[in-house]
Amino acid sequence: MDRHYSQVQVASDLENGDVNFKVGLNRNNIKEVCVNGKTPQNISSSIMRKKSDPMLVSPNVRFQMLGHFLTNLQEVILGTKLAILFPAIPLAIAADYYKFGRPWIFALSLLGLTPLAERVSFLTEQIAYFTGPTVGGLLNATCGNATELIIAMFALYQNKIHVLKYSLLGSILSNLLLVLGTSLLCGGLANLRKEQRYDRKQADVNSLLLLLGLLCHMLPLMFRYAIGEGTSTAYSTLQLSRVSSIVMLIAYVAYIFFQLKTHRQMFDSQEEEEDEEEKAVIGFWSAFTWLVGMTIIIALLSEYVVGTIEAASDSWGISVSFISIILLPIVGNAAEHAGSIIFAFKNKLDISLGVALGSASQISMFVVPLCVVVAWAMHVHMDLDFSLLETGSLAFTIIITAFTLQDGTSHYMKGMLLFLSYIVIAACFFVHKIPQNQISEGKPFTGLFAA
Amino acid sequence: MASLQEPWLLENGNLKGTSKEMRHGRTAHNMSSSSLRKKSDLTLVSKVRCGMLRHLLTNLQEVILGTKLSVLFPAIPLAIAAQCYGFGRPWVFALSLLGLTPLAERVSFLTEQIAYFTGPTVGGLLNATCGNATELIIAIFALWQHKIELVKYSLLGSILSNLLLVLGTSLFCGGIANLGQEQKYDRRQADVNALLLLLALLCHMLPLLFRISGGSAALTAVPTLQLSRASSIVMLIAYIAYIIFQLVTHRQLFEAQEESEEDDADVSEETPVMGIWSGIVWLVGMTAVIALLSEYVVGTIEDASESWGLSVSFISIILLPIVGNAAEHAGAVIFAFKNKLDISLGVALGSATQIAMFVVPLCVTVAWILGIKMDLNFNLIETGALAISIITTAFTLQTKEMPSTWVTLIPRPESPQLNRIISQYNLIEGMLCNMNAGLGLSWLLPE
Repeated sequence: MDRHYSQVQVASDLENGDVNFKVGLNRNNIKEVCVNGKTPQNISSSIMRKKSDPMLVSPNVRFQMLGHFLTNLQEVILGTKLAILFPAIPLAIAADYYKFGRPWIFALSLLGLTPLAERVSFLTEQIAYFTGPTVGGLLNATCGNATELIIAMFALYQNKIHVLKYSLLGSILSNLLLVLGTSLLCGGLANLRKEQRYDRKQADVNSLLLLLGLLCHMLPLMFRYAIGEGTSTAYSTLQLSRVSSIVMLIAYVAYIFFQLKTHRQMFDSQEEEEDEEEKAVIGFWSAFTWLVGMTIIIALLSEYVVGTIEAASDSWGISVSFISIILLPIVGNAAEHAGSIIFAFKNKLDISLGVALGSASQISMFVVPLCVVVAWAMHVHMDLDFSLLETGSLAFTIIITAFTLQDGTSHYMKGMLLFLSYIVIAACFFVHKIPQNQISEGKPFTGLFAA
Repeated sequence: MASLQEPWLLENGNLKGTSKEMRHGRTAHNMSSSSLRKKSDLTLVSKVRCGMLRHLLTNLQEVILGTKLSVLFPAIPLAIAAQCYGFGRPWVFALSLLGLTPLAERVSFLTEQIAYFTGPTVGGLLNATCGNATELIIAIFALWQHKIELVKYSLLGSILSNLLLVLGTSLFCGGIANLGQEQKYDRRQADVNALLLLLALLCHMLPLLFRISGGSAALTAVPTLQLSRASSIVMLIAYIAYIIFQLVTHRQLFEAQEESEEDDADVSEETPVMGIWSGIVWLVGMTAVIALLSEYVVGTIEDASESWGLSVSFISIILLPIVGNAAEHAGAVIFAFKNKLDISLGVALGSATQIAMFVVPLCVTVAWILGIKMDLNFNLIETGALAISIITTAFTLQTKEMPSTWVTLIPRPESPQLNRIISQYNLIEGMLCNMNAGLGLSWLLPE
């Protein structure tokens, strides 16, 4: 463990003396618990990392600051297998500046978002080494779906409520059916002769949270159908949604408390044969700066995405709902998805489940109500009434996932069925075209009573 | 193990597989229908001197008289006579229905005989496709005559009857008969079937929700049709994966308990009673007769409905499946009496899964090829009934905590009270399922 201390000190020595001192002092306290600070999301994304080779940089460069900076750069930019997609970012910015076709901007921004999402997860993990496991877990819990959160905020800002609702719904569906399904399928096929087990208590807690989220979505919908259309209905639905959002946020805070404090042992993943390095590879302030920078770039690309989505939809002939529900989440989740499959191959289903279910719970119980609350502050009319088809898909997804995970064992057939359910839902939204007059309105989405 | 020096060897020498494999070729379907068989008494026939004639008469006796349902066989020529001589069309309908009952059972018997010769995998495949031959043929005829509603109703009725009626009466009778004993089964098989049924439910719900939320019928008709056709392909893929799962990779989950077979020597004869070519010829012949009777049924259903004062939907959802499933139903109840829940469940759930994931999408695909607009949108009441029955059945079968394989590993104290509670629970579940079915009956009557 002594090696652990010295390397971190070398890296952060060069930047700032204060942190150095704190790091040195706190070492004893956080030595043991650093191990437990890694949530399943961190572990899964760490699969996508490459070990950086520092030999190229250090001996040749004389100035220590420059050397340090280049080390950082190599770690952050080149430290992932997804780094090949990084050139899409400047291309997207250039496309916007030089007024290329808007569909191009959309596609390039989407491609650029993929590695950024993974890097943000990496930087959050680095920061977690310095702040201890609890704050690290909290950071991960809030920033784990940073991409979805930022896209949602921009959609809210540009008053495209339906894009917002669709993209969040799509994230939940993709996590529960696509990521989980392909993980169980690949894991089952790779481990045909072994028995695959996982701890169902974690799955149960997540299922319960998702069911609460489902209730909060279904009540405004049924309210609207029961009482009928009208301004008073819209107002009541809005109030109900806002109150439900507060309740969902309270539930989420309780879940964080449950996960990080009182029932840690349920959520700790197996660590024995991990060959993960347990040291941070960049200093705290480096990580923080990089994080802020990456977040700004994510914000920029998200603005492009939200702005050009209708143009891309018209130009490609695909409905906006399909792009928001299916394409956007696949991009945003790509790194977690790959990591989850790889862990399922190694028969570590607990981690795969932690990633998929944790992400879904986070979006359903944190990002969605947060958007409603922010919309409340901005005086935008957003409620929890995703219309009938979407809520029906969500209900069905949660029920089939809860049923699948009930018994604690897995085989490839379960994954296959979840994956095929996703295909059917994707086909449904592929043929679903919302009427043009309902786009770009901040009003409640009227489905049945419109025609 | 069993001696195979029997007349069919005169036809064909190839008898595939060892007897242990042949054992495994018997799916739950086969075993349940075999409870209705009678052991043929060959002494009368053996007096006939000519070899070929004796062989033919043996076959005839085995096939025609080899079941307790053969008392219904005279209905077939009566039905044909009624059609030719222009008797009242309700009579044609009723006689055809009665004639279909033993035919369905005989087809299952013949499929099992052929399975002895082709090995367990192909046998299982054969059973998987022909297990519900009657429903499939009725559906195809209805499609041919453009009676799309009839197709939807009859298939829905089959699923409902398998899930609620067959399963419910099995659990109920099993619970009554075995009040002090433990009734366990391996729930992993039930889980896979329940998941497949949930996927089928999704594929039915989405077009319905699409239709309701889309507004006008004209706008949503084409997308609903496209969605239904795509969903059917997905369902067929899932069914093929299920077949591979059931027959190739995870056989051990689906094998019926074989250990306590010694007391059922009269039921589980492991020797085929006829040669493979006899079996195939009889199968083809029976299928042709089924096709004929199905054509009568589909053609005369409206007249029967008017004449009897029952709605077409009631006849298609309730009456037709009861007839088509009668043999399996009886078999499932008998096995539940003998405390072999695995087999009853295999029959009921397997049949429901087969219809939901194979016959229904097959019909949509066939309709696509024929240019008929059949979609997966069964209307609100029907889809609601389907949803409730699938969810009820899935939850009913969740109550057994430990799969039977675990029970052998973990020593559990034998307690008569616990066993009694478990059997009583079965009884209650069975009653609930039956009540559900009854609700369905009363629901659809005034329609």
